[in-house]
Amino acid sequence: MIEEKDWEPKIVAFLCNWCSYAGADLAGTSRMEYPPNVRIIRVPCSGRMNPLFVIKCLMKGVDGVLISGCHINDCHYSEGNFYARRRFAVFKKLLEYMGIDPRRFQMSWVSASEGDKWAKVVGELVDEMKSAGPNRFADRLENHGLPSDRQTHSDEVEVT
Amino acid sequence: MLKIITKEDLHKILISLLSGFEIIGPRELSHKGIFYEPITDMKSLYWGEGFATEPVKKFFLSPSEYLFKGRYDNGKEVLDDLPLTRNKRIIIGVRPCEAIGLTLLDKVFNADEYKDEFYLNNRERTILVGLSCLKPDKSCFCTSLGGSPESNRGLDVLIFLGGNEFIIEIITETAKEILKNSGRDLSQAETKAWELDRKRRKESLNYRIEVPESLDKIFESEYWEDVSRSCISCGVCTFLCPTCHCFDLVDEKRKKLRCYDGCAFCDFTLEASGVNPRLAKKERYRQRVFHKFDYFKKNFKENLCVGCGRCIRFCPVKINIAEVVDKAPLVKS
Amino acid sequence: MVEELRVKARELLKNKQVELVIGYQRASDGVSATPCFIENEKDTDLLIWDAYCVYNLSSYLKDHPGRKIGIVAKDCDLRSVVVLLQENQLKRENLFILEMECQGVIDERRLQFSDKQNQEISFAQKCKSCQSSKLSISDYVIKDRGEKRKTPDDYDEYGPIRKMEVKATSERLKFWQEEFFRCIRCYACRQICPMCYCPKCVAEQAQPFWFSKAINLEGNFSWNVTRAMHLAGRCIDCGECERACPVGIPLRDINKKIEKDVKELFSYEAGSSTEAKSLFACFNKNDPEGFIK
Repeated sequence: MIEEKDWEPKIVAFLCNWCSYAGADLAGTSRMEYPPNVRIIRVPCSGRMNPLFVIKCLMKGVDGVLISGCHINDCHYSEGNFYARRRFAVFKKLLEYMGIDPRRFQMSWVSASEGDKWAKVVGELVDEMKSAGPNRFADRLENHGLPSDRQTHSDEVEVT
Repeated sequence: MLKIITKEDLHKILISLLSGFEIIGPRELSHKGIFYEPITDMKSLYWGEGFATEPVKKFFLSPSEYLFKGRYDNGKEVLDDLPLTRNKRIIIGVRPCEAIGLTLLDKVFNADEYKDEFYLNNRERTILVGLSCLKPDKSCFCTSLGGSPESNRGLDVLIFLGGNEFIIEIITETAKEILKNSGRDLSQAETKAWELDRKRRKESLNYRIEVPESLDKIFESEYWEDVSRSCISCGVCTFLCPTCHCFDLVDEKRKKLRCYDGCAFCDFTLEASGVNPRLAKKERYRQRVFHKFDYFKKNFKENLCVGCGRCIRFCPVKINIAEVVDKAPLVKS
Repeated sequence: MVEELRVKARELLKNKQVELVIGYQRASDGVSATPCFIENEKDTDLLIWDAYCVYNLSSYLKDHPGRKIGIVAKDCDLRSVVVLLQENQLKRENLFILEMECQGVIDERRLQFSDKQNQEISFAQKCKSCQSSKLSISDYVIKDRGEKRKTPDDYDEYGPIRKMEVKATSERLKFWQEEFFRCIRCYACRQICPMCYCPKCVAEQAQPFWFSKAINLEGNFSWNVTRAMHLAGRCIDCGECERACPVGIPLRDINKKIEKDVKELFSYEAGSSTEAKSLFACFNKNDPEGFIK
């Protein structure tokens, strides 16, 4: 079980290759300081993002998920971020409706030159996660309410 | 052994048993149905005429359970068994058809060739307290399959409701140990009245079908195409059936999961090569009928159906398997 | 209405305008309806039409590709035909749409669990917000010459959704956890939905593995949320999923929430026109982005 005092939020960020990933890289090369809680996954475009990725992250116990792409009209593939914007507008509202803390899923537009914005976005996100607390969704979901003979043994689950 | 007991006294006995047993009974959720759930407040027990949506099968053959897990021990692969739950429980409000269903499942999971330890463990730690049906549903047809609303086969105790007093028929030694000092004995007149009531309950079932001895002759018939047209291959009939027991074995997170599966699903017989012997819907529906009313009978001498009617009640398109079997184009003797 | 329907069906089969008519017939219990598939003129007498004709028959259209089919449709069913045409799952020239002017269908589960003495037919919730016959896609319309049932003017179809939205996040989570606890992953909701036609559903995929087949809340939650997302902008609220669910999960409450959001955010309504593009296949330069940093 997670120890409260040692807990650090774990955030997964899906960054589009052409803008946001470059922007995060710029933050790195400029030696900007920002919290180390983010794990970055590079995707070609924010339009490639599947809501299922976000669901899977949250179910596995990740505390927060961030999707970051190019600014509107600046997408490397012209329209990818338009589709992403529409898709995730619906998805974010759905997640909130189902009872998941809305702070746990966020989106941002970060361009290749906005290293400082990247650092700011991550810093704010980590603060929000710290106040939201650990994602007990996964533990809660594994065994909630199940009678003893239907429970799985969550302490033996390893994240593969 | 027969006893009469009031509802309050029965509740008191159940509450006293809570220390040693988990009590599972039917509870009504408004507009959704009746479900078997662990009960601690006896007042929420449902004693009405409705039937539970899911049969008690799920407490014995679990809808999904992890069988064993794997790990690495110094680079070597090791398989560990997952511990079985041992706490005792009493399931109350079981209908006779569901209990007969369990005796049919025993033939598969408690056979000489193979004894399933998960199923057996659940069977051994459970006491079944049945409830005789007062008013069968229009889709019930248990009497056509050797069952009855007052059958005590497979049960430890069978309760007959009547006003505020219940007549309980105590069948097994285990049940006698627990209940021998409860309630009071029946008088001669009461016993006679009970026997008449039993007979009346059995006869109250009007819906009868004729189950043919064998369906072999019509395996290639066009009939299966006609009756399965509206089937949507959903799996509701399979999952809610007290006797259906097909399962799928899946690897997840280094654990082996066994979960319910059904011959109704399109991919049930999909092989690793990509070939699917039962791709067409009619083949799958035919398989369902044959397994229940032909193959199982050939192997175990009984139909794999108890006539509970759940498949008919909950089928989203109202396919009636009893009608399908009854009206099968066979020359009846 | 029934006679007109039978006559028309007979005519269609005789003139070989269609090879198959999909309609409703009386079920074996003598009360409910069940889908029927008619290929011969003499079988058209089996066709019925009343408040028990609940099913959305458009989910059977995909089973008969290439054949000319006549389908008996209510207004809600028509919308699913429109969406299927939009998505190129059906060819318009192979369809003959027989629209029935529907006065509402009953909710069988409500009827089953309500006071059995009360014979008043309990109408399905979806019928209260039906805006009948706004579409003009049918080939033939059979009008109801009887008294028209009036839908209440002040009925808010998103009432239950709004009630849910004002609850606290933890309350909502608790509500959905309790509902999904009963889910048995029978996939009846998916099988009966006309829009769920993927040859290999995401729930059945092993490589990649999306969510667990186990009946635990992780798997059930993922399944229902994913299905709702896959139906965003496509669900036309025929209510079949909720009707088919054996354990009574309020699936319409999830799909209607997305329907409401889609209407408010993008002014998009599913099934309104065969020329319209699917919701996520298009975008507007002015889509709302207040939620993006």
